[in-house]
Amino acid sequence: MNKPLVLVVEDDTPVRNLITTTLKTHEYRYLSAQNGAGAVMEALSHNPDIVLLDLGLPDMDGVEIIRKIRAWSNMPIIVISARTEDSDKIGALDAGADDYLTKPFSVDELLARLRVTQRRLALMKADTPQESPIFTNGALKIDYAAGCAYLDGAELHLTPIEYKLLCLLSKNVGKVLTHTYITQQIWGSSWENDIASLRVFMATLRKKLENRKDGQQYIQTHIGIGYRMLRIE
Amino acid sequence: MRNTTSRPEKEHILVCLSSSPSNERIVRMAGMMAQAFCGSFTALYVQTPEDAAMNAEDALRLQANIRLAQHLGAEIVTMHSEDVPTQITEYARLSGVTKIVIGRSGAQRRHFWSEPTLTERLIALAPEVEIHIIPDAEVYKNIHRKRPMAIRPVLPSFRDLLLTVGLLAAATTVGWMFLRQGFASANIIMVYLLGVLLTSAFTSGYTCGVLSAFLSVLLFNYFLTEPRLSLAAYGSKYPITFAVMLAAALLTGTLAAKLKAHARLSARDAYRTKLLFDMNRQLQKAETPEEIYQMTATQIQRLMQRDVLIYPAHAHALPDGIVYPADGTGARSVASEEEEQNVIDWVRQNRKRAGATTEVFPEAKRLYLAIRTGQQIYGVVGILIDQKNQPDAFTSSILFSILGECALALESLRNAEEKEKAAVLAKNEQLRANLLRSISHDLRTPLTSISGNADTLLHCYDALDGPTRQQIFTDIYDDSQWLTGLVENLLSVTKMTDGSVKLRLSDQVLEDVVSEALRHVDRRAKEHNIIVDCGEVPLLARMDAGLIIQVIINLVNNAVKYTPAGSSIRITAVQREKAAEICVSDDGPGIPDERKERVFEMFFTGGNPIGDSRRSLGLGLTLCQAIIHAHHGEMTLKDNSPHGCVFSFTLPLSEVNLNE
Repeated sequence: MNKPLVLVVEDDTPVRNLITTTLKTHEYRYLSAQNGAGAVMEALSHNPDIVLLDLGLPDMDGVEIIRKIRAWSNMPIIVISARTEDSDKIGALDAGADDYLTKPFSVDELLARLRVTQRRLALMKADTPQESPIFTNGALKIDYAAGCAYLDGAELHLTPIEYKLLCLLSKNVGKVLTHTYITQQIWGSSWENDIASLRVFMATLRKKLENRKDGQQYIQTHIGIGYRMLRIE
Repeated sequence: MRNTTSRPEKEHILVCLSSSPSNERIVRMAGMMAQAFCGSFTALYVQTPEDAAMNAEDALRLQANIRLAQHLGAEIVTMHSEDVPTQITEYARLSGVTKIVIGRSGAQRRHFWSEPTLTERLIALAPEVEIHIIPDAEVYKNIHRKRPMAIRPVLPSFRDLLLTVGLLAAATTVGWMFLRQGFASANIIMVYLLGVLLTSAFTSGYTCGVLSAFLSVLLFNYFLTEPRLSLAAYGSKYPITFAVMLAAALLTGTLAAKLKAHARLSARDAYRTKLLFDMNRQLQKAETPEEIYQMTATQIQRLMQRDVLIYPAHAHALPDGIVYPADGTGARSVASEEEEQNVIDWVRQNRKRAGATTEVFPEAKRLYLAIRTGQQIYGVVGILIDQKNQPDAFTSSILFSILGECALALESLRNAEEKEKAAVLAKNEQLRANLLRSISHDLRTPLTSISGNADTLLHCYDALDGPTRQQIFTDIYDDSQWLTGLVENLLSVTKMTDGSVKLRLSDQVLEDVVSEALRHVDRRAKEHNIIVDCGEVPLLARMDAGLIIQVIINLVNNAVKYTPAGSSIRITAVQREKAAEICVSDDGPGIPDERKERVFEMFFTGGNPIGDSRRSLGLGLTLCQAIIHAHHGEMTLKDNSPHGCVFSFTLPLSEVNLNE
């Protein structure tokens, strides 16, 4: 199997060197670009498998680059931004980015995100023909047709909202969904009270899913950003 | 009374107000002087007992003069005293007056039997003050001649006349009995004098006393001297007796009347003093402008029994007025009517009275007065008034005093506010300076270590053996991690100590917040046993998630830093009434009592690190406390049992309506 090709877009040389060195030592193929224009060019000409995109580029807004790429490709995009800029991350995720990394990040974290994205990529390729009526992820099984969810073969007792949330997350497994996106999908609105409600429902849903001895985590909370369902091996 | 207390070098001009027509000119001159010297300007009116009997024309003139002075930017001060020059000098000394402006004839008219003029006495009493004398004689003479005639147009009442006649009859009867007994005529004169005294004391004004004095002489002459029942008198001594008796009776009568007038004025004065004192005392307790407005309105209502409307001035706009109805029902906000609004705006801009009973906007329903000190306006008061029920001079002067007190209270409130703001600013500056000093020192250490270690690796890589390299890499990594934590804390500090904390509040599930925080704690935390217990029911609290995560990171990192490897760190979240309580407890050595009080101080460090010599800025806990306080929570430190410590903080619980 071909090693995935990663496009690294980062204007800061030491950080770019850090990322490319990491990629090289872990046997990824990579391309690099220092600015937005270069990034779009590289993406167009080489069609990389994954894009690592720094949001603070000198020439172009990160969200704009995402929109440009999304115009013709579904390639996974992981954005990189500083910790204090939550709103940037949300903007990027809503524009179509798949995941984000917060500076300063560790090498382990970077590699973990890449692995998650690769799995998602593999799944996307396998599942594309038609949507399977049964979703399985670790011990979790969702039968969309019957409207039932099972954990370890036992049916989960979910409220209608919890079930809707679970379906939404499972259909976007591996992808970070923002609060705004989820509330829009579930309630059609995104008021502050909706987001507060969402947190409560997510907390109860997680309790029902993860209240097991193996401590397996299915739903990841991203404070101030949103939620993601993790793909379990 | 003074508020724009002049600095020593500044001129302070005092003008004495009176009801004299020449006073207008003097006030104008003083106003011009004040302008020329750029000094402060005060107009003083000393009320004397005689003023109580001022005729309507004079009263009007006095009020016009007061208004003129106000118009010229003077501060009006009213005082009460019989001794005008002493009062003036006293006031001048107390408020640092540098120049007094008076009219040339200022003294004669104040006293019935004046000896030295007002000017002369002022010079004698206040040699250090410049006195400017403005010629005003010719205007003054014309008026002065009319004055005695105009003084008492009041006719004695029927009751007073009856009393006078009765007392005279009684005196004559007693005198006749004395004569029959053969007493000396001096005794009879005494009886008449007593009659005159009683008449003066029990009737109002001078009239009956003077009448009684003349009639006494006539009656004595007619009934009780030889020849009886005739106005003729034998003996050369009688004319002298009559003259002395008349003089004594007149003097007794006028003195008694004067005494009465004085008593009445004193009573008024006491009332006024009490009113202003009460108000002053209340105003000192007031903490908000609204309270001051309320008190002012109450006092004006007590004085005038009318609805009072107050328009507070905020910055440069007047918001809706607050009406304080005379019947004591609660104050309420009202939008002003269109036509009245013009008057209010005029008053605010010109800082002068206007509306009903004045020349400006006389068609308005209310009389509008400015609440002001110097050039600063604090509000506009509207009082429902009509031409028939104009307040008298006494009421107006109290009204002015009330407004003056109100303005002063508002000014001092504003000053106090500004002072507080300045203090906060200074404190923040101090904090920032301390922070910068401490940081620049503390940043150097890890940076030296990182650059030095990297340099060693660059140049002597091959000379180093494996474990040494490993150690150097670990040091670089640890130092950079420490710097990362520091930067996160500093970002939060700048957010907190900016003076205006802008929390980005949202409702968060505590369990999520705790697990997010644990992803960012010191990597040595892996050597500790961290237990999280957030209960079965998800707890939602309102917080700035970024800052609260920082608090938890700091608390856990502290626990990691100050407890030996292998210790347990327990993080719990429980509901306590309307708050969520989050505790971070450890089973380390704990904190000695004498250090407990100081741990939240900025730049205080534990000083007894366990295991390694990690540096500390002494910033973490201070920041935690500041963050929790900004969330209206409490942060406490307790002992854990059997040993260790518990840091706990509270956050307000969210109230969420679930959208099912």
